[in-house]
Formats: sequence, structure tokens, C-alpha cells
Amino acid sequence: MKGLRLVLTPFAPDQSGATGVLYDMGGIIIICDAGGCAGNICGFDEPRWSNHRSAIFSAGLRDMDAILGRDDRLVEKLSMAAKDIEANFVAVIGTPVPAVIATDYKALERMAEKKTGLPVITVEANGMRTYDRGEEEACLALFKKFKQDKDSIKVNEKRVGVLGAVPMELGSVAEKDMIVNNLKAEGYKEVTTYGFGATFDDVLRAGDASLNVAVSPAGIKAAKYLKDTYGTPYEIRMPLGRSIADGIDVKNKKVLVVHQQVYANAVRDKLLEKGALSVDVGSYFMMDKELSAEADVRLEEEDDFVVLTTKGKYDIIMADGILKPLIKDFGGDYINLPHFALSGKQEVV
Amino acid sequence: MAKKAVSYSIEELNKLGKDGIPKALVSGEHLIYNSPASLMFNSPGAEGFGVKRAGLAVPDSVMLIVSPGCCARNTSLISSMPEYENRFFYLLMDETDLVTGRHLKKIPDAIEEIINFLPKKPSAVMICITCVDALLGTDMDRIVRKAEEKCNVHVRPCYMYALTREGRKPPMVHVRQSIYTLLEKRKKNPKSVNLLGFFAGLKDDSEVYDLLKSVGIQNIREIGKCKTYEDFMDMGEANFNLCLYHEARFAANDIQERLGIPYIDITRFYDIERIRKQYAALGQAIGVSFKDEKYYEEAKAAIERVKKEFGELTFTIGESINANSYELALALIRYGFKVSEIYCDPTPEQYVYIRKLSELSPETLIFSNLEPTMLYYDVSKKKCDISLGKDASYYQPESPNVRFNSDIQPYGYRGVTALMNEIYDSLKEVR
Repeated sequence: MKGLRLVLTPFAPDQSGATGVLYDMGGIIIICDAGGCAGNICGFDEPRWSNHRSAIFSAGLRDMDAILGRDDRLVEKLSMAAKDIEANFVAVIGTPVPAVIATDYKALERMAEKKTGLPVITVEANGMRTYDRGEEEACLALFKKFKQDKDSIKVNEKRVGVLGAVPMELGSVAEKDMIVNNLKAEGYKEVTTYGFGATFDDVLRAGDASLNVAVSPAGIKAAKYLKDTYGTPYEIRMPLGRSIADGIDVKNKKVLVVHQQVYANAVRDKLLEKGALSVDVGSYFMMDKELSAEADVRLEEEDDFVVLTTKGKYDIIMADGILKPLIKDFGGDYINLPHFALSGKQEVV
Repeated sequence: MAKKAVSYSIEELNKLGKDGIPKALVSGEHLIYNSPASLMFNSPGAEGFGVKRAGLAVPDSVMLIVSPGCCARNTSLISSMPEYENRFFYLLMDETDLVTGRHLKKIPDAIEEIINFLPKKPSAVMICITCVDALLGTDMDRIVRKAEEKCNVHVRPCYMYALTREGRKPPMVHVRQSIYTLLEKRKKNPKSVNLLGFFAGLKDDSEVYDLLKSVGIQNIREIGKCKTYEDFMDMGEANFNLCLYHEARFAANDIQERLGIPYIDITRFYDIERIRKQYAALGQAIGVSFKDEKYYEEAKAAIERVKKEFGELTFTIGESINANSYELALALIRYGFKVSEIYCDPTPEQYVYIRKLSELSPETLIFSNLEPTMLYYDVSKKKCDISLGKDASYYQPESPNVRFNSDIQPYGYRGVTALMNEIYDSLKEVR
């Protein structure tokens, strides 16, 4: 049945992806919910919460706020908080509640800007889409809102921007260092990872980078926008420095890799270098047709993974361990390839 | 910008009165900070018994969560626990469902599929719905009836409506009522009593059991200690219910109306004088006299042992603790200790304690766990010798901490004894 999950818990939702982009930017982030969505972000989907906190707040909506559409009350709460909390900007992130009552985000943005004097961005997340959609929209909204004056651009040949690298895209927080180190090894001195360490000031001088690298499909739209706006070229690739499938003979084997598409493609390249017969990519998240091979598959339901693995007759499957219980009868090698957006667990491989 | 967490002294709070509680200490009046305490209830299922775990308190039941993906995302924190294996299932909504409500029509078929998937038919299926359906005005009674007819299994709704948290019937009140609607009328057994209020039951050593048995009550039942569905259904034969926690009062009322089982409210205290008075009052209500001296003296000795060994200790108290933070503060102050800070929103009902605290410890500071400026609480300043409650350890990382927030509930004199012993052991360990 469409939508029914008997084994898997749901994956990271769009509001988590949106918040992930803004986490380190020093803004007031309001999750437009009753409490549970913000709790899920801070208590589960955001691994940085336990190390350093960000000003992420729940709007604390109650039934009458939603029924009567009391946006003015939310703006009032925001203005109270803005007096006490230091912030560069405000972000309002949607959830299922504003989706049901059709909140007018543009109006909310204008009202909040007028009341607080701070720039406001909004992301129309609804909790029914996956994290990558929210990440994509938040990234784009951020660059659009804080556009750099073209005259102030001084391209720094040694600076590279990384887009689409929130923790949910990766297997562990440590993989961010892997991306940074590999780009530094390519000769870049300054690596700006938007959504994972980059600051608000980094956004204000986004046009100075000589190159942007989209490491997930969620970063592609922003990369295109920055190219159109500042002329910054971009590449779509995951600088995956580590070795893959150590100790497993992949020669002449049929392999399935399940992850976000850009990560999975990087793994595919490595496996083919090691002599794999064929490598197919599957993903429960956005897939760009231009980056897909013929046999690659966009997964939706939990049964899709079962069908794919049965039909594909793979010798090796590389996927997050959370999918393993779906294919108890699989007789090949199952290699854990953690993806935080699936399992919500950080695992160092 | 001050970058300072907002607080009020108990004296200020008392002067403002229960109708003048400052906005910073009223959760509906400000944005909500995701402190450790707020995450414990705002991150459903992450800690303790939220609606999801509570709904599954019925032995051998399963839960179908019908919601957008985000509402069920962190359920893996619970479903990975062995006792919840194969007990959570999800029917995820999409944008079209919001408009058409078609997800509701799928529920009976989804339940059928779940039953076919499981090796053994569940005793009941709890359908958990969320804020979205609260706003859509979903008629769950009709859906429950349809599902029961189609699948021949008990089905009950659980409303994880965070939007109604401060309403007349918040989610944790409703879920208690919902699970007990499974009970059916049985012939009354004068020697049976139910304890309502908690989902994991009381600690086995609580004197409640001994005292009730000493007056002839043979069967003392709690949902958390029922091993099978039949055990649970035996709760229908009780002569009366003891309602130990205010959130169970709605359920107790409902049971009284439906099954004719009356109930008596009793509260959890940490002040041994209050406990003594309460047992006396309970005895009067049911026409017996409880011999509780032994437990009283035991608790008193545990308090004295801590005082003798460590002197005039200063505590900070959080809200993630098996206690009413204000009642506990007052009890500790009456025992001769000090309380420097409490991290818990006051409510009008707490003023019975706040008034007394204002006389005995006017300088005690009250912080809200939920207020945005708590982001700036200075955790480097040590404010106590020992902190109580899991959330308090976050604010006071340099001090030893007694969490005292287990699922299994402390109660009565033995609760006081257990708390004092844990405080003693924690302080001994760091000495």
C-alpha cells in the first residue's frame, strides 16, 4: 500500500533539511509548529545540537492560533525574542500546520520584517517531503535574500564553496572534514561549506568564490543560481577521499549503491575503478536525470527497495544498515553505507 | 543586549500572584526554546512516556501512526527498544491527503495489512493521529468503527495533538482515557483495586502495596504491570480506583461513568508529613486505618542521614523528574536544605507551594525551561551542591546530579527514601 511502512521509520523531513542549512548562520530560526517538529529537529535530526546550540525555536502554535490564523501573535512572540536574542536574520520554516491552514508566508515575512527590523526568509516546508527539498529551498532563499553587490565581488581563486552538505546528506559529521580536506588537497585554501560551518558573513560574500561544488542534488539549484548571479562556475561531485568496500572483492560483481545521488555516484566511480562489473544507484531522495545511469532507480516506498534488490540480483549492496531488515533473505555482501537522513544515526565508516 | 536568561525570584512570583505570572514563564506567550526538558516532551517518544509509548501500554497492542513523515520520524528511538519491536507502523500522508482526506479511507486496509504481516494477531490497534487531523476535524470514531468491523480487532484512537497541549483535554489526558475504554464491565471484586496514572507502574517496594494488602486488598493492578491482555481486562473488576496522577483523572471519571468503578485522588508528595496526612485521609475514605509508622520513620532516617553526612545542602531542581518540582523544593527546604534555582514554569496550581516557598526561601530563582533566553543560561556558574532531575544536570554540569526520572515510578515514603538514598550515594561518590 502506498505510504504504508511496516519496517522503516520515516526519513528526515524537509523542515530538518531547511534548518540544517541555516543552523550555523547566527539567525533566529522559527519552526512554525506546535512543538513536535522543532523537537524532532533538535532532538533527533540535527547532530550539531549536542555540541553547539543554535537559536532554533518552536512557534509554540496552539489550536486557536491555527484556526484563527493568528500570524500577528507569532510576529509578536518573534519581536519579543528578537529584543533578547542576538541575530543577523530571521528564518520561518513551515511544517504541516501552516500547510493545512495555507499560511501566507510572504505576508508573514513582510509583517515580521516590519516589526523586528531584521531581514526575514521563509521556507514553505510541510513535513511531508524529504529533507533534501527543504535544504534546496532554504539554500536558494538564503542566497536570494542576501545578494552580494556585484561591484563588491573580488574573486578569490583559492576559495571554493560547497553546497548541499548538511549533516543529513552524509554518514557522519566527520565526513565534512573529508570534503574540506580533499578540496584543500586540490589547492583551495578556503573551503566554505554552506550549511555546515559557513557563517552569515560567508553568505554575504558568496560571489567571491572561484568555484562552487554541489555535493548533493539539493545543492544544484543554488549552484546554478550563483552561476547565473555572479558567474561562478560549478561542478557536481562528492570529493570522496576515503576508500570504499575495503576487504571485499568487488571484481566482476554486480553492485547496488543506495545513498543521496551525488554521494552514490562517487561510490560508483570508486567501485568501477576497483573492477566491479556494474554498479546501479538507488535513492530515496532527489535524483537528477543528467546524473543518472540507465539502470539507476528512484525509490519511494519501502517495498521498492525489496523489488529492486530482488530483480537486480546483486552480489553486493551498499546502503544504510537501516534498510537491511527489509531483505532478510539477501545472500550477498551487505556493506553499511551510513546516510544520516535515513537512519538518524551517525556512524563512522 | 544583555544575553542573560530571564528569571524571577519566588518572592516576586508570589507578589505577582497566580493571575499575574510573567509572560516569560507562560509557555503560550513566547517562542519555545528547545531545552533538554522541552525536548523530552516536544520530541515525542524521545524520553519517558509520550503519546506513542503510552498508547502501547496495553499488552500485545500495536500502533499505526497516520501522519506526515515528520511526526513519526524520531519513533525509531522507541521502536529500536526490544519491547517495541514490530509494534509501530506508519501510514504516511502526502499533500493530496491534506486536501482530500483520502488517507483516512486507507486506514482499515492498512490495519488488515499489518495484521497479515504480524505472526500473531495484536490485542488492539491504536491509531495515532497528529496536528494535521486535529485541524482537518477528522471523525476518528467513524474510522475506528469501520476498522473494527473490517479487521475484527479492537481499535482505539490516540491523539498526538501538540496544538492542544494546554487545552481542556491535552494528549496525555486523552490517551489515558482512550486505553481504558478497552475495559469492559465485570462483576466487582471487593478485594481488587487499580492504580491509575502511570504507564510503567510503581516501584515494587512502594509501601502502597503493603498498606493496601494489610487492609485486605488482594489484587492491586496497574496497566504497566499487566503481562497479558487478559491481565489488563481484569482491571474491570476493581472495587475502586486510586488515581495517582492528575492526568489520569479524566480516565478515572470515564471509568466511573461507564463501569461504575469509583475513584479516589491521591497525590505524590515528598513531604513526609503530607504523605502521612494523605494516608490518614485515604484510610478514612475507605473505612480503614493504615499503619504507616515504619515507612515514615524509615524515610525520616534517610533524610537525617543525608543531613548528618553533608549538612545544609543546596539543590537545584529541574522538571524532568518524578516529582512536582515545587512540592519537592518545599519539602527539601522544610527538611533544612536550600534550593537555589528551579527550572520549571509555575502554574496557578503550584501557588499552594509558591506561597509557602516565598515565606521560607524568597530568594529561590525560577527559570523557564522553554523561554528563548535560556539559550544564554550560564552553565559555568555553579549554583548547587547537587542537582535533581535530568534537565537540571544540563544547567549545572559541574555538580553531581540525581536524575530520578525512571519510567518505574517512586511513590510515597519509599519514594522519599529512594531519593534521599540516591542523593547520599551520589554525593559520597564525588567526595
